[in-house]
Amino acid sequence: MKVWALVVDTWREALARYTLLGFVIVSSLFMLMLTFALNLDIVDGTLAAGSLFGRAFDLPGGTPIETVVTTGESAFAAMLYGLGIFLAVFATGSQVPNLVHRGTVDLYLSRPVSRPALLLGRFVGAVTLVLANLAFLCGGVFLIISLKTGVWNLRLLAAGGMIALVFCSYLGFMYLIGVLSGSTPLSIMLPYAIYVLAMPLAAHDHIAAVADSRLAAWTVHGLYWLLPKSVELGRDVVQLVMGKGGLSVTALATTLVFGLGCLAAAVAVFQRRSY
Amino acid sequence: MVAATPGVRAWGPSGSENAGPNPPKAAYVVARVGEAVTVISVEEVSKEFRSWRRRVQALAGVSFEVRQGEAFGLLGANGAGKTTLVKILLGLAHPTSGRVTVRGMEPVRARARRRVGYLPEGHRFPGYLSGEAAMRLFGRLAGLDEATIGRRTRELLALVGLSDRGGDRISRYSKGMTQRLGLACALLDEPEVLFLDEPTDGVDPVGRRHIRDVLLDAKAAGTTIFINSHLLSEVERTCDRVAILHQGRLLREAGVDDLTHPSQRFRIRLEERQHAPLELLARFGAVTLDGHIEVAVPDLPTLNHLLDELRSQRLLIAEVTPQRAALEDVFIELVREERGA
Ligand SMILES: Nc1ncnc2c1ncn2[C@@H]1O[C@H](COP(=O)(O)OP(=O)(O)OP(=O)(O)O)[C@@H](O)[C@H]1O
Ligand SMILES: [Mg+2]
Repeated sequence: MKVWALVVDTWREALARYTLLGFVIVSSLFMLMLTFALNLDIVDGTLAAGSLFGRAFDLPGGTPIETVVTTGESAFAAMLYGLGIFLAVFATGSQVPNLVHRGTVDLYLSRPVSRPALLLGRFVGAVTLVLANLAFLCGGVFLIISLKTGVWNLRLLAAGGMIALVFCSYLGFMYLIGVLSGSTPLSIMLPYAIYVLAMPLAAHDHIAAVADSRLAAWTVHGLYWLLPKSVELGRDVVQLVMGKGGLSVTALATTLVFGLGCLAAAVAVFQRRSY
Repeated sequence: MVAATPGVRAWGPSGSENAGPNPPKAAYVVARVGEAVTVISVEEVSKEFRSWRRRVQALAGVSFEVRQGEAFGLLGANGAGKTTLVKILLGLAHPTSGRVTVRGMEPVRARARRRVGYLPEGHRFPGYLSGEAAMRLFGRLAGLDEATIGRRTRELLALVGLSDRGGDRISRYSKGMTQRLGLACALLDEPEVLFLDEPTDGVDPVGRRHIRDVLLDAKAAGTTIFINSHLLSEVERTCDRVAILHQGRLLREAGVDDLTHPSQRFRIRLEERQHAPLELLARFGAVTLDGHIEVAVPDLPTLNHLLDELRSQRLLIAEVTPQRAALEDVFIELVREERGA
């Protein structure tokens, strides 16, 4: 009941602050662009001619349409991975800072709700919100491509699920930043920062090999294992859509552990804070 | 019992009353001191706020108790530590040392906040909610069922005069309106203990009187009330007992009547155009002020001795009035003494 109230509250906030509307508009624009940009001429189950954003596909003649579609979808999945996380972080960045704002936190905390329940209730609310948004975005892209080509590649939806999981990890981090700093700009900027920082770290072995001290090398390795694996997971999303194996379970698992760790730390800090 | 459901009055000067049935209060017995049940207990509480730049000792070894059904006022200048103490009593802040209990429970436990109302100082309701939606949200968080929330919301919005604005976004409310909404929210789950931090902040005089009436109703219904204020005249009218906090320390704790009790100061008015000999007044340490005699005496026999002397001078005594100190004077006097010390 109390968690439900918090979920409803999260949705209300997203509606009233137009974050939901913003998400829907940006997602719709993306889908609209896709609808007009994707031109396929299919003859006898193979692609006779096709273009994306006006550029003709450069594929050997007689390529089966499934291959063409999944290849195209994987490119979209990579875009969705970036766009989805970008939008979701933006949409939820003010959540905790608004909650812990002086004068507001008093109203929530003076009710008979435990602090972990309060924070986790809001977390669940944010997750449902982002799930719905991603379902709209990925589901929409999936429908457009499938209807246009007649190829129903359900793995694209699975990629949506994976993007949601990665986002949950970032959300945990945002909660920690929010509880510690109470600042919306920081809660939005820092997830982007670690997203970008994690990119070169994908080559941590090479960086560490040329590091001039052992400490530096260990730091690079440590950071790599600690932070979300943005590059690997982006690649995995593409692999998943293409139906190729070789997904890195470690990348996903360590990313989720990072998120869970941050969320647990957020709850612990929230629990101890005096407001 | 009456109005811990103070759904019985309407906001505004017209003040229509329609007493309704009210659910009985949960009985709780914590500790009996003689007859009175201790509801709030504060033992040697200290609170230090630490940041990397400085330390602020907001409270230093504060102890007192509030008994059931009492209206207790915590007075103090800005920064004295009043809000900090209330936050500790609600589990919002953790004391650095010492112990507090409310109805025998540590306030950090969620259960301890059941049927406890709180009107925070400078509260900031989520602006995206309407008044009604806010009541619903906080009612749900209080664990009330939907039917009760609906009924209480109607009653309380009427009580604070927001019936016709309940559907508006809070971001469009005036300051006084949000304050009234805050009061309604605090009364939502029929509190047994009500904490109010500057309850009349930003409220117009009619509204203030109404808030006072609501509080007096709640008190009559057995609710224990804890008010933080620096509006001393208001505290004087609402509270039974007060504590005076100064720079985190408790200067004085006493009944309002005791503090403002007719001191041993009297004002004596003589018949028109009669004057007492100065030598006589000087002997009793009395002075004339605005044509009256003002005197402080150690006891009643001394006063009567002075009156006898005046009578023996064939002076006619028209009036003898004990002087009641205003709470404000007591407060300012105490704080001044403390600063001097
Ligand atoms: N979160 C905080 N961090 C640091 N210092 C704080 C914090 N809250 C309060 N203080 C400090 O504690 C002291 C007491 O503050 P408090 O708000 O309890 O005063 P108050 O008696 O309620 O004052 P007022 O009448 O102005 O509301 C002040 O010096 C204040 O600066
Ligand atoms: Mg205060």
